[in-house]
Amino acid sequence: MPVYERGYRSWEHSGGAGTPAWWAIARRGITDPLKSRRFLLLLVVAWVPAIVKGGILYFTFKMGELSKLIGGNWTDISSPGFRSFLEWQTPFVLIILAIVGSGLITKDKAENGLALYFSRPLGVRDYVMGKGAITLFYYFCVTLFPVLGLCVFGYLVTNGATGMDMLLLIPLKSLVYCTISGVCYSLVLLALSSVGTRTVFVALWWVLLFATDGLAEIMAMFAPSLKILDFPGQHLNMGVLFLGGDGIKGVAPVVSLLIVVLWMAAGALVLRRRVRPVEVVS
Amino acid sequence: MASRPFEVKPSDCSIQVKGLTFAYGSDPVLKDVTFRLDQCSVGLLGPNGSGKTTLLRALLGHLHIPAGMVSTMGFDMARDAYPARRFIGWMPERGGILPGMSGVAMVAYLGELGGMPRTDALQRAHEVLNYVGLADERYREADTYSQGMRQRLKLAQALVHDPAWLFLDEPTAGLDPRGRLSMLDLVKDLARDKGFGVILSTHLLADVKAVCEEIVVLRQGKLLDHGRVDTDAETRTAQFVLEGFGDVESFAVALRARGIEPTIEERQLVATTDVDSGPRLILEAASASGYALRRMQRHTETLEDLFFQLVDESGDEAAGVLGALTGHDRGGH
Repeated sequence: MPVYERGYRSWEHSGGAGTPAWWAIARRGITDPLKSRRFLLLLVVAWVPAIVKGGILYFTFKMGELSKLIGGNWTDISSPGFRSFLEWQTPFVLIILAIVGSGLITKDKAENGLALYFSRPLGVRDYVMGKGAITLFYYFCVTLFPVLGLCVFGYLVTNGATGMDMLLLIPLKSLVYCTISGVCYSLVLLALSSVGTRTVFVALWWVLLFATDGLAEIMAMFAPSLKILDFPGQHLNMGVLFLGGDGIKGVAPVVSLLIVVLWMAAGALVLRRRVRPVEVVS
Repeated sequence: MASRPFEVKPSDCSIQVKGLTFAYGSDPVLKDVTFRLDQCSVGLLGPNGSGKTTLLRALLGHLHIPAGMVSTMGFDMARDAYPARRFIGWMPERGGILPGMSGVAMVAYLGELGGMPRTDALQRAHEVLNYVGLADERYREADTYSQGMRQRLKLAQALVHDPAWLFLDEPTAGLDPRGRLSMLDLVKDLARDKGFGVILSTHLLADVKAVCEEIVVLRQGKLLDHGRVDTDAETRTAQFVLEGFGDVESFAVALRARGIEPTIEERQLVATTDVDSGPRLILEAASASGYALRRMQRHTETLEDLFFQLVDESGDEAAGVLGALTGHDRGGH
């Protein structure tokens, strides 16, 4: 059909408010993976430990002494018990963030999509904030949200016998811990994603970062202080500050918090240098 | 980062560049570029590496400009680039497709990023995709589009938020002849009938001739000049190759007496003169000097000839060629 027959109408504004750019980016990035059934299944699997812990909590309160047969942290409804729960979620954090976050900037850069973003009225901060919100949301999906769910469930099961601990303190402590940890994971993953143009390599680097857990363990046999190289371990050790419990021997939780902050700063620095409205010349 | 209300298009839709200088490291790309554009269709011409894309990026506010000023629609692009970009649509040359999205999803998404409410962006995405001729393919993954469809999709995303200016970087790159004509039809329609300001960055002079009212010529980061495209320029003046028997010198004198400056090349004379009155004057000169004119062949100087001459020359010579290219006096703007 010739151009003159297709017509063109100027935009007639409906009067509604425009969407903030970072939120438009985040909303799209959050809803996209949910279209995949496999990903949805993975999310359900990531909730299995929470469901199991919830079931155990229920039977603990209903059957009393029988719960001793189970033992361990599964029946622990204090803060350290929830810290242990967050530790069990680490593999899900690794897998789900690798799936969601590896391509977030990589794909945009590979297709020169950054140029499109930055031809719009948005800045690097909006872009990073939007992308970061996606990874933070999915991090919360496998950490904070199950903890909050368990707290509410525990409070209901015990008929309020746990008091404000279960309803206020543990959720607040978990929120602070998960926010710091989640922002760090997001910034580091986005920084990795901004460096490469192949999603698979970004995912590989992400897995290697989590593999420092075992690597640091081996190296610590020669020098215990090398445990600071354990990337996910620092997050869990930092959790001792907020939720209590036993951390990494030989590394103070405050040191771990500082290391986490350093990782965040490094991630932000890389993003600042790598995310620019520059056309990729291939 | 708060919700961005709709803003009325600015009344001043001009683009002003004053003393713009930019370098990548120590490599200067733009040198003291100054011009003013009112809302119209402008061809940004220059050989590869002349600074066209860098100039477009400066107009978008993507560059930190060390010297000079860029003002787009009254917005100082060093300070107010964000609000200005709501009124600019950009079609990049390379890439420019967001992977994993259908055509309509991509255009609507970029509309939202342009400050549109979500429902408006979606509705508008359908409209502009229909306009660029992608109505039937809008639900297909953009990754699977052909090159022609990709170019149309990029034009649609530049249009979705109804900007005042369109910056098009090589919009016909990689298109087959039919696709190229179709794209030029769209750009021409937008520029001439829909009132968009269009900056068409290209090295294809035919595209500029088809679409643009003005041209800006860059060479090695310098603005040679800018002026209106005179569609008559190529037909008003022509070169005539003259051959015959007799005294070439006296024939040349007779031509000069009639205001035609010939050059003698071996046994030929080459005279540049007006297309309409030139042949008559040449015949008069031949008759007056007793020169038996055997051959008078017209060689029309095309825009291409003039452009190549322009970018190969420098200084005053280039200025003279530009006068012929744009068909008006230098400094018209």
